[in-house]
Amino acid sequence: MPTALPLLRMEGITKIFPGVVANDHISLELMAGEILALVGENGAGKSTLMKILYGLYRPDSGEILVRGEKVRIVGPKDAIARGIGMVHQHFMLVPPFSVLENIVLGSETSTLGVLSSAKPSAEIAMLMENNNLRVELQAKVEELPVGLQQRVEILKILYRGAEILIFDEPTAVLTPQESDELFKTFRRMRDQGKGIIFISHKLDEVLDIADRITVIRRGKVIRTLLRAEATKPLIAELMVGKPVLLHVDNPRLEAGETVLKVEGLSELGPSGAPALRELGFEVRAAEIYGIAGVEGNGQSELVKAIAYRMKTSGGTVRLMGREISLLDVRERRELGIAHIPEDRHKYGLLLPYSLADNFTLGSHHKAPYVNGFGVQNRKRIAQAARALIAAFDVRTPSELTPAHALSGGNQQKVIIAREMATKPKLLLANQPTRGVDVGATEFIYKQLVEAKKGGAAVLLVSADLDEIMSLSDRIGVIFKGKIIKEFEREATTKEEVGFYMMGEGK
Amino acid sequence: MTRVNKYTLYETVAPLIGFLASMIILVVIVIIVGESPAKAADAVWKMTFSKTARVATILSTAIPLFLAGIAVAFGFRAGVFNIGVEGQYFFGGFVGAMAGIYLPLPAWLHVPSVVFFAMIGGALWALIPAILKVARGIHEVITTIMFNSIALALVNWLVNGPFSGLAGKGSLEAQTAHIRPTAAFLKLNAGFRALGWDVPDSVYLDYSLIVAMIAGFVVWFVLFRLRVGFDVRAVGTSPDVSLYAGIRVKRIQLGAFLASGALAGLVGLQEVFAIRGFYTYEIASGLGLDGIAIALIGRNSPVGVVFSSLLFAFLKQAGYGLQVYTKVPNSVIYVITGLMILIIVVTNELVSRYIRALRKKEAV
Amino acid sequence: MDLNTVLEFLLKGLDTSAPIAFAALGGVFSEKSGVFNIALEGIMIVTAFAIIWGSIMFGSIWLGLAFAIILGVAMAAIHALVTVTYKVDQIVSGTALNILAFGVARFLSQNVFGQETQSAMNPYAFPSWHGISVFSLLLIPITALAWFVLYKTVFGLRLRSVGENPESADTLGINVVLMRYSGVLISGLMCGLAAAVLYPSRWVSGMTGGRGFIALAAMIFGRWDPIGAVAASMLFGFADTARINFESKIPIPSQFVQMFPYVLAIVVLAGVVGKAKGPAAGGKPYEKGED
Repeated sequence: MPTALPLLRMEGITKIFPGVVANDHISLELMAGEILALVGENGAGKSTLMKILYGLYRPDSGEILVRGEKVRIVGPKDAIARGIGMVHQHFMLVPPFSVLENIVLGSETSTLGVLSSAKPSAEIAMLMENNNLRVELQAKVEELPVGLQQRVEILKILYRGAEILIFDEPTAVLTPQESDELFKTFRRMRDQGKGIIFISHKLDEVLDIADRITVIRRGKVIRTLLRAEATKPLIAELMVGKPVLLHVDNPRLEAGETVLKVEGLSELGPSGAPALRELGFEVRAAEIYGIAGVEGNGQSELVKAIAYRMKTSGGTVRLMGREISLLDVRERRELGIAHIPEDRHKYGLLLPYSLADNFTLGSHHKAPYVNGFGVQNRKRIAQAARALIAAFDVRTPSELTPAHALSGGNQQKVIIAREMATKPKLLLANQPTRGVDVGATEFIYKQLVEAKKGGAAVLLVSADLDEIMSLSDRIGVIFKGKIIKEFEREATTKEEVGFYMMGEGK
Repeated sequence: MTRVNKYTLYETVAPLIGFLASMIILVVIVIIVGESPAKAADAVWKMTFSKTARVATILSTAIPLFLAGIAVAFGFRAGVFNIGVEGQYFFGGFVGAMAGIYLPLPAWLHVPSVVFFAMIGGALWALIPAILKVARGIHEVITTIMFNSIALALVNWLVNGPFSGLAGKGSLEAQTAHIRPTAAFLKLNAGFRALGWDVPDSVYLDYSLIVAMIAGFVVWFVLFRLRVGFDVRAVGTSPDVSLYAGIRVKRIQLGAFLASGALAGLVGLQEVFAIRGFYTYEIASGLGLDGIAIALIGRNSPVGVVFSSLLFAFLKQAGYGLQVYTKVPNSVIYVITGLMILIIVVTNELVSRYIRALRKKEAV
Repeated sequence: MDLNTVLEFLLKGLDTSAPIAFAALGGVFSEKSGVFNIALEGIMIVTAFAIIWGSIMFGSIWLGLAFAIILGVAMAAIHALVTVTYKVDQIVSGTALNILAFGVARFLSQNVFGQETQSAMNPYAFPSWHGISVFSLLLIPITALAWFVLYKTVFGLRLRSVGENPESADTLGINVVLMRYSGVLISGLMCGLAAAVLYPSRWVSGMTGGRGFIALAAMIFGRWDPIGAVAASMLFGFADTARINFESKIPIPSQFVQMFPYVLAIVVLAGVVGKAKGPAAGGKPYEKGED
């Protein structure tokens, strides 16, 4: 067989963001009829590379060849014209639009500017048939479940005639059944001769579906493996670099009294569908309780219910025996809840404000930061900030620097330092290491263990199962808004927990 | 130069550029209208800095402007866009006037009382828009504008009907009865003269100057020294972060809205208690709009508002000068102000983009 | 009441509603693309002046209208430049434009007509039908057209998409900036039409009387839908017409009659909003950032 021209070839792609080389001379090839998995840790540079391919970012150097022809991609339009389509990690849908409108948007069929729906409807019906991806065309996207929304995304790129399909962590939000369906679709599309690039860090999936696997670490291609030569330990080692980099000294302690007790908690999600269904668990002093689960199974609603949401549709949240679900945030914090939020920019930091203000945020209304007349004590605030900067090794010119001037890892340290300084009874850590580098991750792990050693109850919510496994004393698996199984860490394995995360074995 | 200072320096660039650019535009307009810039400059000079009286007039004009500006700015700080300052001082001024007319109090108590009642009136007029914003999520820009029109009609009725001080006198201008002498805002001109500044008696530098200075200091102190002011600024910066940190966002917004209204209530004091001695629905109209401009140009800081209200008072006087001595109409000042705000906000955006980029590079 | 009185009332009501309705349609296009435009009032002040100035200058009401539209679009273009290109707060920009417009109209009036607060009479007029301008009648087909453009054309689909989820539109190769400019510029055009039905025979300072803001209330009450917004504008217009008709017959002070439309707007907003949701990306500048 003559060597076929690769469908796609990326050569020496380099992309530098301020302070970090996101892609460092990355080269890869994708053949027609092939599924290429792109694996790497968070922040390794996978998404950046794909955004370059799709024209959302421009590379600082390097070139892209489609079917051997050098192409210039400066926007999604060019990418679409070259047959490149991308399903983003966060769906790029217009929620109040119909499925049909979402699919045709940007590639409409029209006569004199007037939309026609007959021809595209027929074409889409054909695509649905050929790929076994059925969705009601007139339905509003905001009313569809996540799995169907993803189908709309796939139909969108197929409708544009994409031959090169990029999927950025497509299974993160799917149930196992939905993931299986997706993989069937992958295989069908591969058999039609399309090329698929699949970003993931779930190794089982990768081994299940990929023909070749390219491992990226710190912006560089470490190695490309054929399916046949790939094993889980090998990929894991390539991804992380030195095997098992993160050692956490995390002894099990004698768990104390029950600090947090959640019973029969029910809550509606943003779409009005039940997000939590009679969920219950408890966390005791001096233990870390990890909530494991595929994202979107009610984790954010659970954290909100404990941290700030006032009303619950049903059930109770008790802290040290006291019902807190009707208290406001300040009262809950007074009772000893600290919270590392999922999205530090949206919730965690007043970005234009000084670190001093950010370090005391949440305690800023109390002595010693204010006197009896409500006057702020700037000196004490600055002192506290300087002490925390030193204790937590935050890299900053001074405590007067605004928070937005810090790197992501340092910003996260500010939040953790602040929350730890309140000496909480309950520490809520929601995706505490998302988007931070390995060094900061190690630091954050240590802090969570410190909190536990100090007698706090720690509730860890993470999409990263390794994180859950290495930190938790007990693990609760959340699935469709319910804790469906609890484990003692010593008594289980990652595989078993993963099995329950998929909703199996109930 | 330390890094912090460098950035502070950059941040002051925008208002300066805005001012310079709008002055250039003014010159261009003058030329287009067919006047010589020299003549225009002379006209401006005559009305502004030629005599002590003119300078004092600028200061006097700046008093209600400052109060309007600080009222808007305080709301802005909490993320409340109070366009209703106009209606609030119409109503607040009326309530204050009622206290001035009907309360039999000694002067030492009467003057603070009318100030207090004017603030209460202003806050009351802000109450419904504030509740609608906090409880129902209705944008305050629309509701406060409606309330401006309602206030105008309401006080018009009040001074024509139930509280008319001229019933049967056949005056064209409806007005209330005169305030009691104990409530009058006396002039401080003699004091200034004693200090060596030769202010003529025709200029109103009265108690309202003291009210403005106290209000300005209190606003600064609350915003930058008190915990509740930190809460106000935090809510204005990010309601999400504030909620997370346990700040009672709605309560703060409601409070800041009412405080903004209370400050607005002070705007009409000079006109009612120092200049006219009675209330009419024609007091100082248009200051609400001016207040927004002043707050924006002063970047919502009390110190900035001091400068921008003085600038605005200067522009107003300059406008009269142009009106009187040249073919350039007074309204050119509004053209200039509108453009100045636009230039400042755009420059500001460009500067902060530049600073962000710079800081990103310097970040460890 | 005989048929003629009813017809007359309906036509008068339509005539009174039309300026609010055109401005509200402008608001719909701007906000559907994701840009708040509280400068409708200011733009209308300028277009109301421009139509008279233009008519007298060019000797034709039609050229006057064209001139008003050009100035309206130019004002809107400033808003688009400041908010879309430079991503300045949309309320701030709108406020600055309102201040600017207030000055511009008076300034021009002084220079053109020798008085700051009113223009000369405009000897040119649109053809009229039963005492109302034909333009007021055009409101109905223009509303239908606006609905059609928004919901049935490629342009409308793309315009709405950038107001709901600009990032998504961007990934599909839609030019977010261009779409938003279009939405804002159409609001300027609509303010030109509003001027045509407001009172094209003389400009008086303050003649717009807050209609631009009432139009925003109507737009929200009409849930950002062209037909809904126009229907809500009619509510205001007809209420106002009824008020004028009955003013002399009921013994309430005229000031209460004056505040009626504003009180109505507040009541309407208080009753409806909370339930009504505007375009998801409304008011937010689109950051195409590589951060």
